[in-house]
Amino acid sequence: MRYLLILLLIIQGTIVSLPAWAQNVHVTDLLGRRMAIPKDPVRVVSLAPNITEIVYALGQSHRLVGATTYSDYPAEADMLPKVGSYVHLDLERIVFLAPDLCLAIKDGNPIAAISRLESIGIPVYAVDPRDLESVMDTLSRIGRLLQADKQAKQLVQGMRRRIQAVESLVAKTDHRPGLFFQIGISPIVSVGTNTFIHELIVQAGARNLAEGDIPYPRFSKEQVLGMSPDVIIVTSMARKAVFEKIRQDWYQWTNLPAVKNDRIYFKDSGLFDRPSPRLVDALEILVRLIHPEMFKEPS
Amino acid sequence: MSGDHSDIVKRLSTVSGLLLIVLVVVMLVGISIGSSGSGVTSLWHIITDPDHADPMLLTIIWKLRLPRVLLAALVGAALSLGGLVFQALLRNPLAEPYILGISGGSAIGAILGILLGLSQFPGITLTSFAGSLTTLLLIIGISAGQSILQKNALLLSGVMVNAFCSAVIMFLVSMTHDARLHNIIFWLMGDLSMGSLQHTGILAMALIPCFVIIFWFSNTMNLMLMGKEMALSMGVNIKRATVILLVTTSLMVSACVSQCGLIGLVGLVIPHLFRLMLGSDHRILFPACVLGGGAYMVACDLLARAIPQHGEMPAGVITALIGAPLFIYLLKRSGR
Amino acid sequence: MKHAITLENIQYSYGRALVLRDITFSVTPGDFFIVIGPNGSGKTTLMKLIAGIAQPDTGMLEILDRPIHSYSRKILARQIAFVPQSVPIDFPFSVKEVVLMGRSPYQGVLGLETKEDIKKMQQAITFTSMTHLADRKMNQLSGGECQRAFIARAICQEPSVLLLDEPTASLDLSHQIRIMDLMEKLKAEKQITIVMVSHDVNLAAMYGNRLLLLDKGRIAEIGPPREVLTYQNLERSYGCTLLVDKNPLGDVPRVTLVPGKFVPK
Repeated sequence: MRYLLILLLIIQGTIVSLPAWAQNVHVTDLLGRRMAIPKDPVRVVSLAPNITEIVYALGQSHRLVGATTYSDYPAEADMLPKVGSYVHLDLERIVFLAPDLCLAIKDGNPIAAISRLESIGIPVYAVDPRDLESVMDTLSRIGRLLQADKQAKQLVQGMRRRIQAVESLVAKTDHRPGLFFQIGISPIVSVGTNTFIHELIVQAGARNLAEGDIPYPRFSKEQVLGMSPDVIIVTSMARKAVFEKIRQDWYQWTNLPAVKNDRIYFKDSGLFDRPSPRLVDALEILVRLIHPEMFKEPS
Repeated sequence: MSGDHSDIVKRLSTVSGLLLIVLVVVMLVGISIGSSGSGVTSLWHIITDPDHADPMLLTIIWKLRLPRVLLAALVGAALSLGGLVFQALLRNPLAEPYILGISGGSAIGAILGILLGLSQFPGITLTSFAGSLTTLLLIIGISAGQSILQKNALLLSGVMVNAFCSAVIMFLVSMTHDARLHNIIFWLMGDLSMGSLQHTGILAMALIPCFVIIFWFSNTMNLMLMGKEMALSMGVNIKRATVILLVTTSLMVSACVSQCGLIGLVGLVIPHLFRLMLGSDHRILFPACVLGGGAYMVACDLLARAIPQHGEMPAGVITALIGAPLFIYLLKRSGR
Repeated sequence: MKHAITLENIQYSYGRALVLRDITFSVTPGDFFIVIGPNGSGKTTLMKLIAGIAQPDTGMLEILDRPIHSYSRKILARQIAFVPQSVPIDFPFSVKEVVLMGRSPYQGVLGLETKEDIKKMQQAITFTSMTHLADRKMNQLSGGECQRAFIARAICQEPSVLLLDEPTASLDLSHQIRIMDLMEKLKAEKQITIVMVSHDVNLAAMYGNRLLLLDKGRIAEIGPPREVLTYQNLERSYGCTLLVDKNPLGDVPRVTLVPGKFVPK
């Protein structure tokens, strides 16, 4: 008899975590899955740092009850309860937060974890922000899900304007300096064609010297010297002291155009390591570094 | 009739009974501790006062912790038994369940499955299983020139095949740059967290017949440890026993690995541990490894979940961190 | 029962090497039958054939007047017990456990021992004077003690025939005698036929009632010690100078090695 009661309670428990019938909408996510989610989700868990950023950008952070670790932008997001990492979700913590909607990354979060969440009755909507275009698409989608269509539209329009501005600026010149974008210090790793950084580089009016099939190719120092880069941009999570050492390192090679013209730059990787709305900021920073001549005040 | 066998039956029951209690206690602790908090007391409340149980906690326990703990117990039992059988078959104290190419083959199978974007179940489980079967057949083929009873041939081919597979694995890992790299690494480290009750049930159905067969041959293993000549002269059909045990144990270990990845050191340490404590009689070592190995795995998984502040360690790290020093300590204690 | 063991025209080859050929002899129940001969003459192989561990290429082999292949392995084990030359000790069992294993031809597959089995184990341990060592692990025993434990196990099999492959090799003198005396005791008290390989021709002479001199896979001579142990037979088979005289302890030959410096030119 006790056992039957426990069983009933479990059934009741799983039903409780499902959204109430009457206020559901049916949607299809980017994995092609149809699901029923609440029209007005109030307990949302973000399963990736860039999704957290997007929700904050849409002004819907009040709906968030949890996020993965490294959801550190904006700073307030760090206060949210943590549900494990993007590649190793803590299912127990997620279930404990009793979410009515989880937002996941297609081909990012492990599909097994997503299936488990769904088998417990928690809807998971997958989006796919990979680059500027898809980030904007994600903004629209999540905006629709979280009753923030207007904010999404504004954000997207704003982003398009800024991108357009950069593009027209770049169109004014034929000069395409050779850029080596270094994301790994040891070993030296750059970005290939199938990355969002490559797209930014091209839009910012430079040639990506590491373009090719391998998304994150490794290079020896010698190979980089052979490329003769005009500009070198290094991003990493390392501290300033490490940057100085790397600068000294590159400056030995005085034939490099990048060294001769003093065009080695260091940027904090936060802006460049995730496909979020701040990619536009990254784009603007890049174009300033690559084409400083377009920004000189006429004297 | 059982009065006639009272001595050995008594020993079996005592060992089984004690270890069963240990296993149940550890499992209860396992389902009452998790990353969302809650403690043993709340579990007590659920059992004594089900009407007022928190449905959230019930969901967590039923859907997340219980399958995991059951899976850990099952895998711990199977891997410990695997080590026991291979140590007896190969008459080598360094033998462990992955030694006959199972780790190499299943890893390559799993990695290929991950790279192809297959789902964990049934996709990757099947490719991984197929991989370990392939290497097993390869090893049997290589060492078939010598008689299958030539233990060194099996052992050496197993070690070589595993080494070759390691190279292939490193190559595959170096070629992977995207999110699938994470999946591969987690698989290689062993992962008990992704099993559902249903998957665990299927695994149990595959493993339990294997357990029965191995127990059936437990006395035979005792006799086989006396050497080929003496075992034959005492009436043991060595060839049949070896083949059956080899195939059964390989299938058993492969099934576990394809579900949970490569959890190391359990199969090596647990048989030795219980051998030091209980002697070499495999009829007694069988329940010791099944129940004790299961309890050990549940405990290690528990620590892997409970210790880190954020996230969890792979269970295989704990089994090694605890297992090795524990074994060294017991070795010194036994005065050898 | 006429013969304990009968071999007729037995031939055995290993790979392309012919190890044994034209082996024809029989062992009478109650014999203390000792096989001697130089290394590589095929003595161990002969033991393995009789124990049913190896199969002859051709020829007839009967145990207790029945062809050996008509026995199932288990039933054969109730008639013949085999003590091999060396036994691996990777995972040490206690003496009791090893001796108890001798009961397995009478048990089911799980080998659950009955009180009867335990009694017989204790009797075998007492018979071989191992009582004070009963609980020790095998790897804590000396060579001689190990050998006695394996013989105790063989006794537990309650066989009609006991086969031993060089049981006294690498044992010190006192243990050698103890083992051989144990064999005599088994023969006398339990009527077990003893068939043994020995490298020590003098021990063979003093204990065996029939000897078989094996040379290059063939029977060189078979019969009572005084017929087999002549200096012609021995010098031909062993290929060295030997002195054969009468053993002062009894009516058996005594073989003495002759160092080169004593050989008359």
